[in-house]
Amino acid sequence: MLGRSTELFIESYRNTFAITKCGPPSLAGIRILSIKILSDKGEIWVEKQSVVFTVNGQKHEFLIGEKTGMVPPSETLVETLRKRLELTGAKQSCDEGACGCCTVIKDGDAIASCMILTVQCDGSEITTIEGLEDPVTHELDPIQKKFIDCYSFQCGYCTPGIIMSAKALFMKKPEPTAAEIRDALSGNYCRCISHYTVLEALDKLAGNKSDQYEIVNEAGEEK
Amino acid sequence: MTEKVEAEYKGGIHNYEAAIKDGKQQPYRHIGKYRVRADARKIVTGTATFLDDFTVPHMIYARILRSPYAHAKITRIDVEKAKAVPGVHCVLTYKDLPKGWILGWPPHKLLLDQTVYFAGDPVAICAADTKDIADEALELVEVEYEKLPAVFDAVEALKPDAPVIFPGKFKSGTNEVDPGVPHFQPEGPWWRMENGDVEEGFKEAKWTAEGMFEFNKMPAPNAPEPPGAIVRWEGGEDYTIWATSQSPYICKLYNEPRIPHSSLHIKTFNVGGSYGNKQSLSVTILCCALAAQVTGLPVKNFMSKTEQLVAHEQRLGSKIKAKIGLNEDGIFCAIKGCWYVDTGALADAVQGQVGVGLGEAQIVMAKCKNWDLDSKVVATNKCPAGIVRGYGGQELNSALARLMSETMRQADMNPLEVFKKNYISKGDKFIWRDGLWWQSRSSMMYPEAMQKTADVFGWDKKWKGWLVPTSVNGRKAIGVGMGVIGNADVGEDNTEAFVRVVGDIKGRGGRVIVQCDLTESGMGQRAAGAKFAAEVLHVPIDKVYVTEPDSINNPTNFGLCGSRGTITTGKAVTRAALDAKHKIQALAAAYFGNISPDQIEIENFQAFIRDRPDKCVPIKKLGPKDLNIIGYGQHIEQFDMPSCCCCFVEVEVDLDTGLAKVTRFMNGTDIGQIIDNRMVRMQLQGGIGSACLDTATYEECIYDTEGTGRMLTSNMLEYKWRPFNEFPQHKSAILESQPDSFMFKGIGIGEISGAASASATLMAISNAIGAVVNEYPATPAVILKAIKEKAKKA
Repeated sequence: MLGRSTELFIESYRNTFAITKCGPPSLAGIRILSIKILSDKGEIWVEKQSVVFTVNGQKHEFLIGEKTGMVPPSETLVETLRKRLELTGAKQSCDEGACGCCTVIKDGDAIASCMILTVQCDGSEITTIEGLEDPVTHELDPIQKKFIDCYSFQCGYCTPGIIMSAKALFMKKPEPTAAEIRDALSGNYCRCISHYTVLEALDKLAGNKSDQYEIVNEAGEEK
Repeated sequence: MTEKVEAEYKGGIHNYEAAIKDGKQQPYRHIGKYRVRADARKIVTGTATFLDDFTVPHMIYARILRSPYAHAKITRIDVEKAKAVPGVHCVLTYKDLPKGWILGWPPHKLLLDQTVYFAGDPVAICAADTKDIADEALELVEVEYEKLPAVFDAVEALKPDAPVIFPGKFKSGTNEVDPGVPHFQPEGPWWRMENGDVEEGFKEAKWTAEGMFEFNKMPAPNAPEPPGAIVRWEGGEDYTIWATSQSPYICKLYNEPRIPHSSLHIKTFNVGGSYGNKQSLSVTILCCALAAQVTGLPVKNFMSKTEQLVAHEQRLGSKIKAKIGLNEDGIFCAIKGCWYVDTGALADAVQGQVGVGLGEAQIVMAKCKNWDLDSKVVATNKCPAGIVRGYGGQELNSALARLMSETMRQADMNPLEVFKKNYISKGDKFIWRDGLWWQSRSSMMYPEAMQKTADVFGWDKKWKGWLVPTSVNGRKAIGVGMGVIGNADVGEDNTEAFVRVVGDIKGRGGRVIVQCDLTESGMGQRAAGAKFAAEVLHVPIDKVYVTEPDSINNPTNFGLCGSRGTITTGKAVTRAALDAKHKIQALAAAYFGNISPDQIEIENFQAFIRDRPDKCVPIKKLGPKDLNIIGYGQHIEQFDMPSCCCCFVEVEVDLDTGLAKVTRFMNGTDIGQIIDNRMVRMQLQGGIGSACLDTATYEECIYDTEGTGRMLTSNMLEYKWRPFNEFPQHKSAILESQPDSFMFKGIGIGEISGAASASATLMAISNAIGAVVNEYPATPAVILKAIKEKAKKA
């Protein structure tokens, strides 16, 4: 196991991870994770037996390997979130990065969690749909609230992914343009057609006007 | 329609169940307005439960080995190595299949067979501790096949030299499937629309058109959530099944006969999109049930996206070879021909869709007196066709509307006028899918709805004539098109509901509990059920609880198909609520004494004498201690309220690249009465998804018919569809004419909201480029070919 100082070291370079490699299992079944870090001092390889990352503010550490309870190197982030952490808001739908139903925010970016291995997330800060609600006041994120007010979903299977893509955009740019909103959601597949009310909700939050859709009363406006 | 008339039609003026105050009926409190769904918070926080989020203790995972060939015989299969993998509980092949596990109507396809009928057909089932172990084990199954000749087209499959796919299974002795299906046609098979005298009809025709028109690429509805199920065998004949089905009742109805000596208890969760396509889930459920029986453990199967695309049900293939006549007045006067329906490698009640298709054609051409439109359902070696939103009508219309266009073009008539004239009006008769004559008592306002939609769209200015672009800006040509379709399934099948009025301990408040077996698969019908009860019983919507969808703990509801939810759930729930209300009124009248029940009003679980709120008693105190007041209501199947949806499309075609983009999409209807202002718009917008609008320009399933026989569009990168940043402008026009459908006058619409959009888009593309395009999908290659042929002719 690594000492605290190494963890801090990794933490400080977590945005510069380039390559992660896994070794063969040891007699105890544990695999060694090698992480190549590009720093101003050149390439540095760091070895770890576990993967550590934060999900919705809570730190998790998993041994890497095939034995019961360990995270095998082939496990994707969406599998870890859903099966081990019981965070089932991200859906495993197409499993090939094409539908966006598994979208979570990793270190500020919206990513398809089916397309990244959990061992690649060492040192990362991950937010899932379950992490948007205030854990103390239970107040929803403004995007979540607006989605309810504008009825921005039908079956709701793709909705968590859409909200997380939108959230990542709004975190980077609180008032994105209409085009930026649409581009940010281009990786999210919805087949019921919630697109117009999703765009209405996000356009309203960003202060955009659009003639792409009709606007009728929101939840609060219906007496 | 004048604005005054329109205004009178709107806004709940007929709410006879609203409380009377100061001698006046009050307007609707909830009907017509957007009300937040009870599961909304769970949806946006990711805590709503879908099947894959749920586990059963000791559950194991089934995976399916699928055929790599379109048609082959298994000559050797060895599963010993697979069985030896640690963690594997069973590996099952056709050799292990008990008697009677057979699919289709007539029953013709074993769940596991020595012959495989399409690339993707199940060959072996493995159930193991994990999905990965099951997948790994299936790789060790040794199979040898003898390839058999395959056929990939309905018309080809009817030729005398075509290989017979299911020998001895159909009366025809060929690939033509027996017509009729008992549940949908209890009076006997019906597959051919005959009426009047076709020869006489053609004499009346001033313009005729003839030919073969196709909508045959069997596109995929591709719900975001793949099909899946968990089956637990409870011993004896009892199975508990959790399924991604939009209808527990249909799931039970279809699968009980297929699992011999079984009694199924079906439960559903939130369903991640279905569009009619996730209902019986027979293959998934039977595979799990077989493995559950063998292992004694609960078994889950959740398809991968590729399995969903290559082996779950697609839209049926549709080709129509017909002749049609249009008279001088713009009325279709005769149609003769045959509709060839490709059902792929399984006919599972496709015959019901054929009945609906023929019915919808009559609704659109209701003034046509002379019909001879035959149909043939044909098996081929493709992925099975099944139920998809549009239900036969969309597939027939997409082809038939192109034939209708040919005559309108010859006559140089504005399609808006022709569609308006020919559409069904009150009193017109038609044969619906049960093979019986029905007479419409639906809205009189459908032509007005078409006109209003056209007005909002700006049709008059944009329509320049057939094969004439609206405008050409440089190398970009703009064209417009339209289409209309209707559906009488909005009142199909029976439904019943209980509504229970449950007081709290002191009777100051309480709960209304609606039992109606409603699954939420996106349409908001659970919310509508709550709304109906809240409106009748005058309680806040959040005081209404709709019970969990479940085939045992609820009375019968056939399910949300054919847009039937609005009328059928509406009628059953409002009648049940009214029944409860009448009981309360009778009890309260007796309580106060010397008063008629009609003078009792109820509000927030209190009963009071009208205009005398001081004379008030908690409903709780009216009946026997602790017991509920329970109302019962039912809807009995009827097909006399056909709906209507028109679509208007504007496209921009790049004349150099042939790329057509839909830039505006509009649909309109007379909905009777809006139940929910936002949900109805979502249903209309839904006509873009689930293989509707974009089947005109890019959605298609492509098969390697010359080589492997496999579907090439087997993942979401290959199966092309519209991303979020390429959506057209959408608008809608909705009339509310208050026909007598049920207490709240609404008519369902989602089934057909995009059904005429593909044919409308081809009309628009043809107009933009000045040449007829009849091929689905009109890809850049198709459009460029049409442009070049036009240039050659010139």
